[in-house]
Amino acid sequence: MANNDINILKVLEAKNFQIQPGKLGTVAIQAGGGKHRDALKALLEVDEKTAVTAITGIDLGDNIGVYYHVRTSNAFATIQCEVPKDKPTLATITDLVPGAAFHELEVTDLLGVVFVGHPSPGRFVLPDTWPEGVYPLRKDFKPSEIKFNPPSTEDVSLSDDRGLVKIVIGPHHPALLEPEKFAVLVDGETVKNVEPRIGYVHRGVEKAAESKTYLQGVYLVERICGICNSCHATAFVEAVEKILKTEVPPRAKYIRTIILELNRLHSHLLTLGHAGLEIGYETLFQYFWRDREPIMDLTEMVTGNRVISSSLTVGGVRRDIKETDIPKIKATLAALRKKIPFYKQMYENEPSLKMRMQKVGTLSREDALKLCVVGPVARGSGVDIDVRKDEPYEAYGEIPFKEIVYTAGDTWARMNVRMDEVEESINIIEYALDHLPGGAYRVKVPRVVPPGEAVNRVEAPRGELFYYVKSNGTAFPERVKVRTPTFANIPAFLKTAIGENIADVPPNFVSLDPCFSCTDR
Amino acid sequence: MGLPYGVISMAKKNFLSPIFSEVLNHLFKKPATGKYPFVKCTPAEGFRGRQVFDIGLCVSCGLCSRDCPAKAIEMVDVNGKKRPMFLLDRCIFCYQCAESCPRNAIKSTEIFELATTNKSDLVLKPQPLDQKAGVSNVA
Repeated sequence: MANNDINILKVLEAKNFQIQPGKLGTVAIQAGGGKHRDALKALLEVDEKTAVTAITGIDLGDNIGVYYHVRTSNAFATIQCEVPKDKPTLATITDLVPGAAFHELEVTDLLGVVFVGHPSPGRFVLPDTWPEGVYPLRKDFKPSEIKFNPPSTEDVSLSDDRGLVKIVIGPHHPALLEPEKFAVLVDGETVKNVEPRIGYVHRGVEKAAESKTYLQGVYLVERICGICNSCHATAFVEAVEKILKTEVPPRAKYIRTIILELNRLHSHLLTLGHAGLEIGYETLFQYFWRDREPIMDLTEMVTGNRVISSSLTVGGVRRDIKETDIPKIKATLAALRKKIPFYKQMYENEPSLKMRMQKVGTLSREDALKLCVVGPVARGSGVDIDVRKDEPYEAYGEIPFKEIVYTAGDTWARMNVRMDEVEESINIIEYALDHLPGGAYRVKVPRVVPPGEAVNRVEAPRGELFYYVKSNGTAFPERVKVRTPTFANIPAFLKTAIGENIADVPPNFVSLDPCFSCTDR
Repeated sequence: MGLPYGVISMAKKNFLSPIFSEVLNHLFKKPATGKYPFVKCTPAEGFRGRQVFDIGLCVSCGLCSRDCPAKAIEMVDVNGKKRPMFLLDRCIFCYQCAESCPRNAIKSTEIFELATTNKSDLVLKPQPLDQKAGVSNVA
């Protein structure tokens, strides 16, 4: 776990913070009364890789809890503050960590906490017609009583007096498969600014999860995202298992690892192909998707469904891997492995791919750290963060694999991170199949979960996926917070698109592997 | 300005993209796609298709209905006993019902061609036992 020697417990103790080691990650820090900024500063000073993973807002009755989840290079800390419900204001942290801007906007929208000093306040997740003063994640919220404001009839100007033209990409756009809006301000061909507006597919999964039992919740969170469904399920069930203090049998851990890696394989092959489509290289797209199909068939064979695996449950997995299936899995993976040199050569040397991808959307290491990006986007910029290595879950601690890091920081580097990870995923699955332990694959768990709270992180194909689950001692969770990797990665696109050619927007954007149903939840 | 970077590198290396050999190879291979629906496609063993409900095994406990995350199972009255009615238009095919059933009265099939223009075709009503001997609801 430790890849350097910074002990944040000692650092925090030296500065007289109230800490609770082992709670909500490595350590929970009580930082009421504006001390959250000091705690964050203390962590930023000692560790350059300190980044805000998520900000959870939670209704605590008279107060609203605001929890800053902070990852450092070898630990995970939660800075807890509370604000009174009648006057919920808190100082912003965006000046310290610019990557926290989206997280703060989301908490403002859903719980009404005002972050004083936020650079661009406004509606972010909820629709523009949402009434003022109604906050859906507060416990006194009644959905039947919402009265929407009439939609604005104001004319939207598409050009300004400086001669800059606003090109609105989305929410309905042929190039975007999912609805999301990016207003790109261009001067000729050069992008001057990008304004995002998310929330078009906001389904309120976090709220809905509060009305589902833990058993049903697994199926709900799995449907947040079709592509990384098993990652969502794993993140949720692990958090619940942490509250229950259940130890999952080793066989279940290995089977989960195999399912997660199959997930990563098909997701990466999808993106690598999709990048081809976005830059106009449709032949490459077709070939990637041809080779992705056997992985989908494997997923169907192992889990019972092509896309949504529904194979994880609290306490283990729902079905075992049959001995007769193992040779089939290995044969399919071996066939895919034979294809890798061809694809690798394509991504490394093919002139048209290089032309469209190299030096496009370059994100420097400093910016990657500041914007708190995750997954292949961070690893493409030389930031070596991978939850599988930093905080091994399931069987990852026992399986040897390489962490892929590229330093160029451009679109090409991000895609090559994924290309190399395809090969690593095959290695991981093969190792897991060879070392599959025997025994039970699930344990019986109670339906009622004792009071408690837990945070959990999983490395989804797109990066670090974060879950916070709080239980109140019933069969229904009190709060489920989800922070998806795309939500953390969009700031990277907003930063890198500026100053580049408008035609470079699609390859730059697709290199984040954006998933909007994840982003909006 | 000069030529863009890519054109120069292409000219310098005279590099032939590996995609050409892949395309040529593919000319002499079987197509990667299947000829569905002319050729039937069989899902893998254990595929979660449409459920089959065996009323003879049902003990009317209602666990399937209680655990269903999509509220796709309603308990309806059949000859004085509560039996599950499956609303496949809501079903998410997670098979939690089959797992919760204490008597294994819900079994999987490999039927996946459920598309219909009539929503009521997707409602599987439990058939009373005396209408069909033993297994019911395979309509």
